Amino acid sequence: MSDSILKLEDVCYRYADGTRALDGCSLAIRRGARTAVLGANGAGKTTMFLHLNGILRPTAGQVLCEGTPLDYSRHGMRRLRSRVGMVFQNPDSQLFSASVREDISFGPMNLGLEEAAVRQRVEEALCAVGMADSADKPVHNLSYGQKKRVCIAGVLAMQPEIVVLDEPMAGLDAAMQDELTTILEKLHSGGMTIVVATHDLDFAYGWADESVVMDAGRLLAHGPPAEILRQKEVQSTLGAAPLVEEITRSLSLIGIDLRAKGYLPRSKKELLKAISDYAIQEGKP
Amino acid sequence: MLTEQSAYTNRWRKVSPVAKGFFSLCGTIAAFAAGSPRTALLIALILAAATIRGAGIPPLRYLRVAAPALLFLAASCLSLVFSLDFGGTTGGAALYPAVAEFPRIAQVCCRSLACLTALLFLSLTTPLPDIITLLRHCKLPDTLLDLMVLCYRTLFVLSEAVHETITAQSARLGYASFRLSLRSLGSLLANLTVQVWQRSQALHLAALARNNDGALRFLESSHANASKSISIAAGAGAVMIALAVALP
Ligand SMILES: Nc1ncnc2c1ncn2[C@@H]1O[C@H](COP(=O)(O)OP(=O)(O)O)[C@@H](O)[C@H]1O
Ligand SMILES: [Mg+2]
Repeated sequence: MSDSILKLEDVCYRYADGTRALDGCSLAIRRGARTAVLGANGAGKTTMFLHLNGILRPTAGQVLCEGTPLDYSRHGMRRLRSRVGMVFQNPDSQLFSASVREDISFGPMNLGLEEAAVRQRVEEALCAVGMADSADKPVHNLSYGQKKRVCIAGVLAMQPEIVVLDEPMAGLDAAMQDELTTILEKLHSGGMTIVVATHDLDFAYGWADESVVMDAGRLLAHGPPAEILRQKEVQSTLGAAPLVEEITRSLSLIGIDLRAKGYLPRSKKELLKAISDYAIQEGKP
Repeated sequence: MLTEQSAYTNRWRKVSPVAKGFFSLCGTIAAFAAGSPRTALLIALILAAATIRGAGIPPLRYLRVAAPALLFLAASCLSLVFSLDFGGTTGGAALYPAVAEFPRIAQVCCRSLACLTALLFLSLTTPLPDIITLLRHCKLPDTLLDLMVLCYRTLFVLSEAVHETITAQSARLGYASFRLSLRSLGSLLANLTVQVWQRSQALHLAALARNNDGALRFLESSHANASKSISIAAGAGAVMIALAVALP
């Protein structure tokens, strides 16, 4: 595939204690796409992500960036990591400075940019995540969701082509999840490639262009969520089905077949819209 | 935490740390230049007034922050006032006030008090990241400053972890008796050690992911009208030193 920006080829990874965290994973990440990586805890999502920006090196197989195998030299890693930004799960273990602005400047400073350029990038990143108002607060007085946004800003300030987020929704309340989805949407429409690890099926079903399902270090399925997440095997591995999909299916059992009418709702909003359209068509406003 | 809170909320928070550091330094110099206890007291008063009136720190909070240091100072002064005499006329050891030394003791104590207020001025008006910026300007070794940055941040992360663990332990009656307390404290320490190790590992990964290769570099915070506030601070500092030198 020519438009894949990152690619894993038969990647295996074994931790020092012998745990086989990845077992023959092959995956291509499409440029500009929103990819959701699904899997239970311990499925190997984090381990796979650490391969995407060269922090871990496969014990077998290889990782390619735009068709060329990763160069694990110092110089190669510098180049890769300025293209692939990584937001880790726990904000407290990735914020270095107690000052929001200082922390966001950390990445751009490491890129060796001029001070004025760094300053501009920091302000832009603060605006992109909606944290411009809280920039002068110390990090330890921010809420969990705000800390998470600072982490994202810290990566955005490096202006990467790909952003990889490990369980960004974990620990956020519904309102903060919506805000984060808006931020991700904005990044996507700006042309960024986004990869997200999650175990929120509903989010993946509604948001992603591509879904990847992992189980015990193996890649179970890869494709558009509307196909993959409706497969029985995938649903039994993940232990659930997307709610919207289940409701659509249940409705068809009582004779309301939205699919037959050409509706394929993927989010709550789309589902409600489809139902009300259906009602109007059937003359039951 | 009180110091912390004041540093982030006072009226002079946005003033350049260089200006505040300079003023504090001038205060310290004035304290040493003061020729008499009265002058040193005056300097202390000026510095305290600058902190309370100028930066808008509530007087009660100021006293509460200063209290431990003041107690310490009082104890040291008392220990200077009394001397121990061995083998005097009575033969045994005796405690007696060193009357002859009183002027010098008063001088030392008032000087210390003035120095204390100068330091309080800086720490109550300037958040630690700004103080670190100031020290960076003073060309302190980077490794030391990086350590300060990390320690300051980790302090809060770990104190949260400690609180959470203690709450969880108490919820399961971990501190119900002395024996249980000892056990809980032990497991708290063990747990914390593992956490510190894991967190340092995670921080290292995060640093790598953001293209770090050793030294921690941050953007220095910029302050509006820095040169103006530095000149004002220098002027005020000079007046203070002049007072200290001129007054008897
Ligand atoms: N540092 C490590 N050392 C040993 N085993 C690990 C380490 N990190 C993760 N693992 C193991 O690797 C497997 C995959 O973990 P991980 O990639 O964190 O999964 P996920 O992110 O999907 O929850 C798990 O079985 C986990 O216990
Ligand atoms: Mg994980």
